[in-house]
Amino acid sequence: MSPMIFQTALYASLVLCALGLAWRVSAWFRVRVGPDARAVTLSRRVAAVFQGIAATLASRRVFQIPGAFVLDVLLQRRLFANEKLRWFGHLLVVVGFTLLLLMHALWASVTVKLFQGYQPTLDPYLFLRNLFGTMILVGVALLLYGRWRRRTGLPQARRRIDAAFVALLAFVLVTGFLLEAHKIASPRAFYRMAEQFIGTTDAEKLMPLRALWASEFGVAFADLKTPIAPHLVQQGRELHRDACAFCHTPPASAFVSYPVAQILAPVSGLLDQVRADIWLLYLHVFACFLGLASLPFTLFFHVVTAPISLLVNAAAPQRELPGQTFPTPTLSSAVRASRRALALDACVRCGICDMRCSVAPLARYLGNPGLLPAHMLQATAALADGSLLRPGREAGALRAAEGAFLCTDCGRCTSRCPVGLDLADLWEAARGDLAAAGLPAPAQWVQARAALAWAESLEAGPGQYIFSAADAWSAPLSADRRTFSRCVQCQTCTNVCPVVAHSIDSEHGVDLTPQKVMNLLRLGLGDLTLGSRMVWDCASCYQCQEHCPEGIRVADIMLELRALAVHRLGAVRSLGERS
Amino acid sequence: MKYALFLGCKIPSRLPAYAASTRAVLGHLGVTLVDLEFDCCGYPARDVSRDAFVFAAARNLALAERAGLDLLTPCTCCFGTLRHALRFLGEDAQLRARVTQALAAEGLAWSGTSAVEHLLPLLARKVGVDALAAAVRAPRTGLRVAAQYGCHALRPSNVARFDNPLAPTIFESLIRATGATPVDWPRRLDCCGDPLHQANAPLSGRMTRAKIADALESGAETICTACPHCHLRFDAVQAGSPEPSIRTLLYTQLLGLALGLPSKSLGL
Repeated sequence: MSPMIFQTALYASLVLCALGLAWRVSAWFRVRVGPDARAVTLSRRVAAVFQGIAATLASRRVFQIPGAFVLDVLLQRRLFANEKLRWFGHLLVVVGFTLLLLMHALWASVTVKLFQGYQPTLDPYLFLRNLFGTMILVGVALLLYGRWRRRTGLPQARRRIDAAFVALLAFVLVTGFLLEAHKIASPRAFYRMAEQFIGTTDAEKLMPLRALWASEFGVAFADLKTPIAPHLVQQGRELHRDACAFCHTPPASAFVSYPVAQILAPVSGLLDQVRADIWLLYLHVFACFLGLASLPFTLFFHVVTAPISLLVNAAAPQRELPGQTFPTPTLSSAVRASRRALALDACVRCGICDMRCSVAPLARYLGNPGLLPAHMLQATAALADGSLLRPGREAGALRAAEGAFLCTDCGRCTSRCPVGLDLADLWEAARGDLAAAGLPAPAQWVQARAALAWAESLEAGPGQYIFSAADAWSAPLSADRRTFSRCVQCQTCTNVCPVVAHSIDSEHGVDLTPQKVMNLLRLGLGDLTLGSRMVWDCASCYQCQEHCPEGIRVADIMLELRALAVHRLGAVRSLGERS
Repeated sequence: MKYALFLGCKIPSRLPAYAASTRAVLGHLGVTLVDLEFDCCGYPARDVSRDAFVFAAARNLALAERAGLDLLTPCTCCFGTLRHALRFLGEDAQLRARVTQALAAEGLAWSGTSAVEHLLPLLARKVGVDALAAAVRAPRTGLRVAAQYGCHALRPSNVARFDNPLAPTIFESLIRATGATPVDWPRRLDCCGDPLHQANAPLSGRMTRAKIADALESGAETICTACPHCHLRFDAVQAGSPEPSIRTLLYTQLLGLALGLPSKSLGL
């Protein structure tokens, strides 16, 4: 490869990477997640971050950073606490990648300076390159296996670009091994070197050396007959020692490339003809440059974001709760706004949060992955960039809203997150944004219309609804008129209801009383109850049910009606409606 | 005595002191607690799907069953939800079939052998009020305490089977065991207002404040709770409010202090 092409491509990739990084980092100050973040200006956010850094540097907390860097960033103790297998796989990838980058990709500026007489074709470098490459491949395989093992029966959160990045990484490794294997087996490479260092390409003159290189260095000479005479090999050793040994040790220590070279041996002449050495090198190097240029937009970006997230946790004042494995930082709202934007970038969709999510069983039963943290994060990001509310995506937006409002804030995702994201804070912010975008909790969107207006919408909707046998499975009490046949209209339910008792103003008071709700159901006018404030403001205190002289399950019915309303009214609801 | 401890979602994240004090007190009294990988009791899903809520509850019951343990919860709302799920599973064969099928897909089964117990009846009946009183080392003599029962412990009584729903005594007898004095307050069986906090915040706030005012008027120095929802509700309404306030204390903290346990172990 000509140095000019190499240099141009390298610098172009570096420039693209730097521009991408600048754009992505600026998002931490631009992107707004949460109603409180909208009130903070960009300049205030930038200032708050710098103030935070200055305050940390001036405080005793600064001494916690080196320890956190070693334990959290380098040794990944949060990941270790969660899942040993993933931790091991991740460690293999990190160590393999870092050492391969330093020893192999940056050999001219690192390895040569540290180790005199470095040649890529000498041991231990031959062996180490194969070792590091294998570490990455095994690590990636372990990570993929872990991901497969964590499957919950629901689709896992993922980004296409992440799969593309993993494919690119594998491509770099495979082309690297193939290139090395091809160069080991290539007669053409042998003759090129012979011409340079011995001054001849004459096959006959080089016969002893060729015999040695065929038998111990894996070169696939088509014209050499096997078995090769041992005395020829011995003759070759002297020339080898004088001309080749400075730069070459037998490549059998390249435990991946060497066996591959032996497999390639029958076609190595053909590969020489089509100049596989050139195009494999181009593929290998340009794939690396592509990875570098796209770094800010792929999974690779977490190399930047995850350490920042972990170090912010170490540097910020902590609120430590007993029972929590790792403390959560307390941040000002301006810093928190940036922390949330960073969280959207730092999540690698590992899915560890999904595994121990408290509402995962509900997500499975409802068939809605939107309840799971990794999906909620993805929806929060989509809400922040506007794509969640794009026309045609209503179903996805509704699933996300259902998920966000069924989250119980149990905090398990936060305490488990390997990159230490304050997810509990993110969910609260996301719920605020969803509500502001017209996707609030059911109790809120139902209140956008009066009970009578909802009943009219149902009548004008896709089909007239009546409580029927179809509702028997979801609302068996309400659908069965016999439930109310014993009602004597005594109004005890209403008289003991604390919500009725505290309804002292028309704005925040209930519309119907419990007794009226029961009566409407008894008359077959259930549609009139679904959007009523009484149903949605019911405190589920069960006073009515406890006191009903006829044993009617008033409160159970109220709760049934809510679930029924979510589905019925949801079908005739217009998104973006505000209460 | 050995139970699977069901903390629910609120206690670990918002009220860890309740988990700590429950463990400290029960450990001191010789009740063994086992931690299983429980999930949400199902309560929030009741507004969305009866099936999903019962499934979530049944899944937890199945986990306890697999461990061969009864389930103990210090959360009154989790208690009510799990007990309701037992009722629905018992009375609706079709629902039971759907839930059984979904559980089987996860290698679980529910047959109803694990009971659901609330912390207060366990202390009052299984450990025993007299045994508690005998174990008290530092009686809270003179402390006037308002017992906050919590709706889902009491009602519906045929589901909860907790105490007399109209004139319960269990909480007061437990308070008396610590040496403190239970006060009689008219609103002691009322709702704390928490469940409609999201749907109607002003009305919810009025309900909570009415209870606080009533407890103060009745001469209580503290409201004693046995549910994270009630407890956090009182604290949230009083935070930053100019109105007269009252201290909240978890029953496990009150008992722990009386037993002479270090206050740090009670999250105080």
